[in-house]
Amino acid sequence: MAFDIDKYTSTSKKVVWGDLDFDQFKSNPLPEATLRSIRYMADIEYHTVCYLRDLLVTPSHKEADVSAFMTMWNREEFWHGEALSAVLGAHDITLDFDQLKATRLKLGWKDRLDPIKQSLLGNIVGKDFIAVHMIWGAANEWSAVAAYNRMADLEQHPVLAELLRRIAKQEARHVAFYATQARDRLAKSKKAQVLARFALKNAWGPVGSSVMEPAEVNHVMSHIFAGEEGLREIRKLDEHISRMPGLEGLTIVETSMKKYGVSAPIAA
Amino acid sequence: MPEHKEASVDIMRFPAPDFDVREYAREAAGSHREELGLEEYRTNPLSPEGLRLIRYLQIIERATMTHLRSVLVTATHKDARITAFLTTWAFEKYWIADAFEQIGLAHQPEGTDVDRAPFITPSERTIRESIVANIIGIPMIAVHMTLGTIDTWLSQVAYARLAALENNPQLAKTMEKFTELKQRQLAFFEAQSRYRLTESKQARKLTRKRLTKTPWPIGAKAEPREETAFFFDRVFGSARELVAELDARIDTLPGQSGLSLIRKAAQL
Repeated sequence: MAFDIDKYTSTSKKVVWGDLDFDQFKSNPLPEATLRSIRYMADIEYHTVCYLRDLLVTPSHKEADVSAFMTMWNREEFWHGEALSAVLGAHDITLDFDQLKATRLKLGWKDRLDPIKQSLLGNIVGKDFIAVHMIWGAANEWSAVAAYNRMADLEQHPVLAELLRRIAKQEARHVAFYATQARDRLAKSKKAQVLARFALKNAWGPVGSSVMEPAEVNHVMSHIFAGEEGLREIRKLDEHISRMPGLEGLTIVETSMKKYGVSAPIAA
Repeated sequence: MPEHKEASVDIMRFPAPDFDVREYAREAAGSHREELGLEEYRTNPLSPEGLRLIRYLQIIERATMTHLRSVLVTATHKDARITAFLTTWAFEKYWIADAFEQIGLAHQPEGTDVDRAPFITPSERTIRESIVANIIGIPMIAVHMTLGTIDTWLSQVAYARLAALENNPQLAKTMEKFTELKQRQLAFFEAQSRYRLTESKQARKLTRKRLTKTPWPIGAKAEPREETAFFFDRVFGSARELVAELDARIDTLPGQSGLSLIRKAAQL
């Protein structure tokens, strides 16, 4: 299965919401718990640029296709942030650039050392490291699709649901890129498989867990993935990941959700 | 680890206050393919020198991701307003590079494959850069904004010269459009640069040091030296007064006078 990068770049659009009736949020506002989750998601979408940074310090960016993809992907995610921030705005919650800056500043030295660590690792390991980034990206994008769709189902708010499905549709295109890249690269290299397995098992966490406060991670993940249906979604994510060459049997999503206290039903 | 005071707090909340980043993001130019009038090059092709210059311009424009990398590993990436700008800027640059590539391809037999060769980017520098730049902190933003300013000026001159040297109305039209795009980018870079340089002595000193060490144009390292020599020769060879004009413009940036950057880079 090939991913047509030219087709992707030429059809990459910013998500639109101008045609949606945001006034409905006035008469039919979202509950506070939902707004809290949306705030988290908006933050994460805006922070894509920080993740892009981590990708850029490794050999990944030298590949023309990867670089083209990253340019579009980064912009699409920025617009997801803008769209979600507009939803918050309709509830009189402002999320401005200064607040985002504050979140980034809080990361302090850990954040400053990350690119160095990544760069050293990436450049020592070389090309195989790209596979790790690609499966990592795929896992994150799969989670994003599941989270947005699930939230749309849970909330049953016509305007929010439509917007979230639009966003999820773009995330699904990101999945296609990352998963195709990951599958090819893992299939070609045993070393990449070992590395990817090690990295996912030891370092993967729910999207945003490296940036946001644990209490927020717990809130969002419980909000979206708690209960039996949530667990089914979680396991689907693990299935996607463990179908990749050399990653059989991994249950990183379920494991990390437990770590963040997402309660699974007792009889699971 | 102790933090340098100036490295963690950016008091400059509103450099470039008149530049609406959100509006810029909204109105960003995407693909130019529909407006390139490629069929005109079949009847009125560009000179071999013109094509060589276009190829060079494409490559330095495509080197955006490499430049973005060195920007994002520094304190600059904390500023959400700047990253929102850079996200859009990278998107616009991608499509400018694509347009140059398409113009080049219009001079080849139909069905010629596009160049997908990996970029040439030295990686060991990133690590050092990341460590040094993070110790420096905030004043690094002034460096990046000034680099952006000067590089954009240089691109604008190159586009104007490319159009002037070729007798091709379609190319002239396209270059005019790109010059306008760059003008908008410049509005951000230049206002940021002037503000930050005016406010901080450390920024002026550091920027001065960094500018002299920068190989011009940005992205030049992705190409062999003779191609960069060709670039300067083609752009300025028969219009030497532009060298002095550009250097005079750089002289107007606070604390950056007398550097003669373009004269030294052009070696004419």
